[in-house]
Amino acid sequence: MGLPLWVWLFVLPTLIVLAAGLAPDRARPLLRPLWRVLDGVYLGAGVIAACGMVTILLLIVAQMVARWSSVAFPGSTDFAGYAMAATSFFALAHALTRGAHIRVSVFLNMTEGTKFWLDALATFIAAVTATYFARYAIKTNAFSALLNDRTQGQDMVPEWVLSAVLTLGTWPSDWAQLWAETGDEWVFTPLWLPQLPMSIGTILLAVALWDYLSRLLVNRETAIVREAVE
Amino acid sequence: MTEVAATVIFLVALFALLGSSVWVGLALMGVAWIGMELFTTRPAGDAMLTTIWASSSSWTLTALPLFIWMGEILYRTRLSEDMFRGLAPWMKGLPGGLLHTNIAGCTVFAAVSGSSAATLTTVGKMSIPELRARGYPEYMIIGTLAGAATLGLMIPPSLTLIVYGVSINESITQLFMAGIIPGLVLAGLFMSYIIGWHYLRPGEHARPEPRMTYGEMFAESRFLIPVLCLVFAVIGSMYFGWATATEAAAVGVIGALLLALFQGSLTFGTFTQSLMGATRTSAMIALILMGAAFLSLAMGFTGLPRALAAYIDTLGLSPITLIAALTVFYIILGMFLDGISSVVLTMAIVEPMIRQAGIDVIWFGIFIVVVVEMAQVTPPIGFNLFVLQGMTKHEIGYIAKTAIPMVLLMLVMVIILVIWPELATWLPDTIRQRGS
Repeated sequence: MGLPLWVWLFVLPTLIVLAAGLAPDRARPLLRPLWRVLDGVYLGAGVIAACGMVTILLLIVAQMVARWSSVAFPGSTDFAGYAMAATSFFALAHALTRGAHIRVSVFLNMTEGTKFWLDALATFIAAVTATYFARYAIKTNAFSALLNDRTQGQDMVPEWVLSAVLTLGTWPSDWAQLWAETGDEWVFTPLWLPQLPMSIGTILLAVALWDYLSRLLVNRETAIVREAVE
Repeated sequence: MTEVAATVIFLVALFALLGSSVWVGLALMGVAWIGMELFTTRPAGDAMLTTIWASSSSWTLTALPLFIWMGEILYRTRLSEDMFRGLAPWMKGLPGGLLHTNIAGCTVFAAVSGSSAATLTTVGKMSIPELRARGYPEYMIIGTLAGAATLGLMIPPSLTLIVYGVSINESITQLFMAGIIPGLVLAGLFMSYIIGWHYLRPGEHARPEPRMTYGEMFAESRFLIPVLCLVFAVIGSMYFGWATATEAAAVGVIGALLLALFQGSLTFGTFTQSLMGATRTSAMIALILMGAAFLSLAMGFTGLPRALAAYIDTLGLSPITLIAALTVFYIILGMFLDGISSVVLTMAIVEPMIRQAGIDVIWFGIFIVVVVEMAQVTPPIGFNLFVLQGMTKHEIGYIAKTAIPMVLLMLVMVIILVIWPELATWLPDTIRQRGS
């Protein structure tokens, strides 16, 4: 298992997708359940993103109300920024599957014969770029946690929120210690918390692109369904 | 020499990736990645994520999803019908008749929506069949609509202006204020075209409308009052400095929800549709902005923008020549790219250039919006053309031809802006002075 990281990230998915494309009839029954699950995941992330949008609205309304009633709401702009990032990143994959991301399609729609190959090439390049993006998003996020980077702003979160999120990411054997050390005071937001959506969203985008490449190669037609022109 | 090599490599990579139909945001990221690996020794990935995190978690950007959402809510209300019914009685007396509802409708909807396509569909859904039934010539209906819908980009709230403001770190409120007067002037130009048509082609007039008393006229347009209130709430709160652009957007969303609620068109279905639609659109723009943030960083490392600005400076071009050159450049770019992409793609290069040349960046924002508006209606890629094709089933070529006079009027608008820059700068200046 001593393979370099880039083999895992770039070569392995390429090989899997190629294998699926070369033997579409064998791959289809294997991949179909996976596709169905992933479709649900993308939509779920889209719904989380939509909740992020509502959160932005509520934060800004709260900020205005706080200002009119002369109550301090420290860090409201930072929280709105985090919600903004969460909205954008969680929705990346969902927007891809619904054809919301724009592309220059002059050459794509030029001739039917080249359409498939050009689409495959574009999806492949996009998948590689998105994988690179996700890889460094995770690294940045992990480094923020490692260096215990804190916000530059005035925003604070209760410590138990951090512990609750950490509970999901640690072994049950460490939980007792984690919660024993959790106080009930508020701390300046550590950057790893708002950066989590960035990691999750970019991973989903990369997965979605490899996924849609496999669908394209197996079914010989794009799986992106554009909703009627609005 | 390295600058020339860098330019060539960036351009080739950019055209190759965009041309092979890679999604715009990821294409920009890919180009930046190539550039970083070739020209710098800095770890590309770490620098990339630091920049992207900073740009995508910014407070200024939060105005974007909210304004998109506001437009999406109103788009799903009965506004289309109300708009035509409410505006028609006031427009029928003008020379050119009800064709003016296209322009006036687009102007009003542009003031609550930041997108050109949404403006086009909302106004066109009603006005195309109504105008056809009254016997107005097809080319006038389509042409005026295609042109006027681009006002959605200029009259605040404008997504293009938000993206521009975020890219160059300028106040979005000021950019919005700058867009108001030029937007109205452009609408005036479109209307003068209709009036000109009325007198030059008397054979093509439509049947005159039945007479109405003032009471009936007000009764017909009472549904428009809530929308106008919303416009004043959003733009007014920014103008008087009561709210930042983001807060005005939040006011807009709540106002739009209330309006839809009182109309009875706010159901769970339309609410979730508008929310999910807005989420997708804002993710689309966010991805482009992420790619552009990384690309600006990569180009900054190569020193390319500064070198190019210095080079342009040595040419000793007058600002007018520079603007003329940029107009041509953006029109060509706009044939292949949508407005937001062409703005973010070029800002890293163009911003130092215009700052060096002493051009006001707020004014330049309005200029760039007029130029990318043209791109919306010029083939082969013009977003309004696609939308109109879907609505009317005409050929792209025909729609583009009907819109040519509008494109020429937008060029006139560029010239007007060059001659009277105060049109764009006066309103933001008065706010700036009052603020200080």
